Amino acid sequence: MSSAAQKEISQIGGGQVGLSNFYLPEALTGTAKDIDGLFGMIVWIALVMFILVEALLVIFLIRYKRKHPDKHGKAIDGNTKAEVIWTLIPALILVFIGIYSTSMVYTIQEPPENVYEIKVTGMKWAWEFEYPNGAKSFNDLRIPEGENVLFKIYSKDVIHSFWIPEFRIKQDAVPGRETRFWVNADQLSGGENKYEKRVICAEYCGNQHSLMLADLQIMPAKEFTAWVDAELTRPKTDAQYVVQANGCTSCHTIDGGKSAGPTWKGLFGKKQIVNGQEVTVDEKYLEEAIVQPDAKTPEGYSTGMMPAFQMEPEAIKNVVEYIKSLQ
Amino acid sequence: METLAATGDVKRKSFFRDWILTVDHKKIGIMYALTSIIFFFFGGLAAILIRTQLALPDTQVLEPQQFNQAFTVHGTIMIFLWIIPMLTGAFGNYLVPIMIGAHDMAFPRMNALSFWLFLLGGLVLFVSFFVGAVPDVGWTAYPPYSIESQGAGLDFWITSVHILGLSSILAAINFIVSTWNMRTEGMTFNRMPLFVWANLVTSFIQLFGTPALAGAVTTLLLDRHFGTVFYNVQAGGDPMLYQHLFWFYSHPAVYVMIIPAMGIVSEILPVFARKPIFGYKAIAYSSIMIGLLGFMVWAHHMFVAGMQMTEGIPFMITSMIIAVPTSIKIFNWLATLWGGQIKYTTPMLFVSLGFLGLFTIGGLSGIMLGAVPLDLHLHDTYFVVAHFHYVVFGGSMTAIMAGMFFWFPKVTGRMYHEKFGQVAFWMYFIGTNLTFFPMHFIGMAGMPRRVFFYQPELTTLNQVATIGSFVIGIASLLLIANLVHAIFKGQKAVQNPWGAQTLEWTNASSPPTEFNFEEMPVVTSDPYQFGEKKDGKTLDDDGVTA
Ligand code: HEM
Ligand SMILES: [Cu+2]
Repeated sequence: MSSAAQKEISQIGGGQVGLSNFYLPEALTGTAKDIDGLFGMIVWIALVMFILVEALLVIFLIRYKRKHPDKHGKAIDGNTKAEVIWTLIPALILVFIGIYSTSMVYTIQEPPENVYEIKVTGMKWAWEFEYPNGAKSFNDLRIPEGENVLFKIYSKDVIHSFWIPEFRIKQDAVPGRETRFWVNADQLSGGENKYEKRVICAEYCGNQHSLMLADLQIMPAKEFTAWVDAELTRPKTDAQYVVQANGCTSCHTIDGGKSAGPTWKGLFGKKQIVNGQEVTVDEKYLEEAIVQPDAKTPEGYSTGMMPAFQMEPEAIKNVVEYIKSLQ
Repeated sequence: METLAATGDVKRKSFFRDWILTVDHKKIGIMYALTSIIFFFFGGLAAILIRTQLALPDTQVLEPQQFNQAFTVHGTIMIFLWIIPMLTGAFGNYLVPIMIGAHDMAFPRMNALSFWLFLLGGLVLFVSFFVGAVPDVGWTAYPPYSIESQGAGLDFWITSVHILGLSSILAAINFIVSTWNMRTEGMTFNRMPLFVWANLVTSFIQLFGTPALAGAVTTLLLDRHFGTVFYNVQAGGDPMLYQHLFWFYSHPAVYVMIIPAMGIVSEILPVFARKPIFGYKAIAYSSIMIGLLGFMVWAHHMFVAGMQMTEGIPFMITSMIIAVPTSIKIFNWLATLWGGQIKYTTPMLFVSLGFLGLFTIGGLSGIMLGAVPLDLHLHDTYFVVAHFHYVVFGGSMTAIMAGMFFWFPKVTGRMYHEKFGQVAFWMYFIGTNLTFFPMHFIGMAGMPRRVFFYQPELTTLNQVATIGSFVIGIASLLLIANLVHAIFKGQKAVQNPWGAQTLEWTNASSPPTEFNFEEMPVVTSDPYQFGEKKDGKTLDDDGVTA
């Protein structure tokens, strides 16, 4: 196992993941802790019911095993008192769970005053985050520590679901609708503040649904402000940003996997058949493929799949360099 | 098949006349069973593929699209072509008329039509394999994703759902009319076997629920091909309408999958515990309660789908309420075992340890999911997958297995192999827990459902689940092999090998003759008159009928 994977493991639940907390990841918000409280309570009730039923079942099966082939059991066909008891007790328990949960739903739903709003947009297959000053990030969610943050959730295409397990909340991103939830998050324990691939799409949305993941960073407020401001003024021509902003990876993989378009891994320098001729993929080829994709469609793909992109020359150059680096 | 067909005094003319043109409820039931078992085989294959892919965090056994097709095919087949037709089509058809003392269903030809529509619907779904566009939208087919879905696969899927729905509605009408009108002398409602009660409630659910599903998939089809805008938000449509329609059918449909199974449990427990069923009326009427309440909880599948969180509260309350009649049944079944004389047979193991033991777990996880605050985290994760497999696999499937073994002597006139049956039960039981228990934790830790990729720290739990699924696969093959072997080589069965008291055992031969009974039975009590009275006398096994 790589050391990166190892690090991820120790991060889940601050290194405490295991049966003791039912494998729940670390709870980073007050709401998440409340939900865990309810969870614990219901689990214990369920556990008692579970043990009661399973124990009675096993005891009866052993105790009343038939020894004599012709013997009959007792001719008892009911008992009203017993029926009333085992109707009322579960009913009361469930009423209790219902009331407790209901009051909690209201607290989870109502955002406090003074919230910092982040616009979350799901698309096939990436997350876009837009901050109040207009800065945007892709697949990289950063939030200020200890502040009330309200997510307003949208979708560009199909239904997605915006889920962060550490917050214990998800809301679907539904086209034509705004959904929302709010959090006030602490840092991850252990001094780490970056959490890879922990913003998860939970609603099936097609081919690359499984990989619609974003990173989460909970930053000290000052650092965060500096980052958002820098993000706004930063020239947006670096390859990562361009690729995300234009949604390239919804059709191209960078790891050799199959998708709607050719993978970028090993693409540079490859020989392929285009319009019946064999050509070698070089810088010029890639540039043209971005700006005018239908001019040269490689064998196995059809024209009209990829839109023509208008980009600054600097951006194109950076993307080409990026693809070159994926060997 | 040969042996199955050799039903006593029926003159065997030709396969065509005997089976293809038959309107006999027993043969139709058998055809339902054989057909859905074949479909089950394919559904199981898809499941094994899914679990094989998930044995490692990022193996590439399947391409992403193939993986998505695998879980779509798996879910659709298991629900629409296996569990529902097996419980209502096979068990319902074979047992209901004979249990109420009738010669056949009220509308025998319509009954045959239901079967042929079912077969057609299944085949239409399978056609999509051959036109190379297996649907990849999940069994729920939410728009707008499903509207964009390329190729004719989804259109076949929709057509298939329509045909199957029609088949269900016809069958439901037939069951309701038959149960109402065809009961023999003395068979009052309160003397009906509990399986018949279960089937009756199920039929009402099918009758009222299926049209909503038809509406849901019809609007999909219209949006895909005829320019309507039900789900096109640019034109003012709303994708949530589909979810409401879909779950208005599909939540009740989960009760279509469990109520008949509960009926089977209520038949088998008293026979092998040699005790009357405890709380006959409580069990029968709680089915009705579940049937009614089942139509009021649908939006608990949509707590995070774009409703306000507080809008979920009424549905949380109804979901909590529906757990009450469910727990009533559990306690009544336990009380049936209490003080019994329990014989361990394959069907008994399946309904006691199997159904009671496993279904309880699914019921309890249902309560967790029903609580809105917990569902915010758990929705669309593997926890949900664990929940519904404990109820559908641990519940419906174990009851189906139990029923297949229990009524096997009646249907075929042969006995299955008891030892191998029990060995297979244990494998099935262990496999089920290995496969589905870890999924609770997998989901809580943060793995969504319907993904082919997960974080490496969840590898061990996923591998346990994969190993479990292989164990289940082998167990299922053993179970089927046992029955197939018994058809040809099993010992001849007597009329009532279990000493049961429903009419198919007391008044019909094994297998029954063409019109079920020589003489119409007359009923004087409910069919669970087992047990030692205070004076120490044992009731006669045939005590039900005069
Ligand atoms: C105690 C009674 C039950 C309660 C309170 C309950 C509650 C729930 C809830 C809230 C969900 C939605 C979870 C989510 O998607 O976030 C769910 C899903 C499901 N339940 Fe249950 N349930 C109960 C019993 C059953 C039974 C008896 C069956 C079937 C035999 C069943 C089958 C299913 C299925 C198939 C799903 C998943 C559907 C899907 O999303 O594909 N449940 N249940
Ligand atoms: Cu439901």
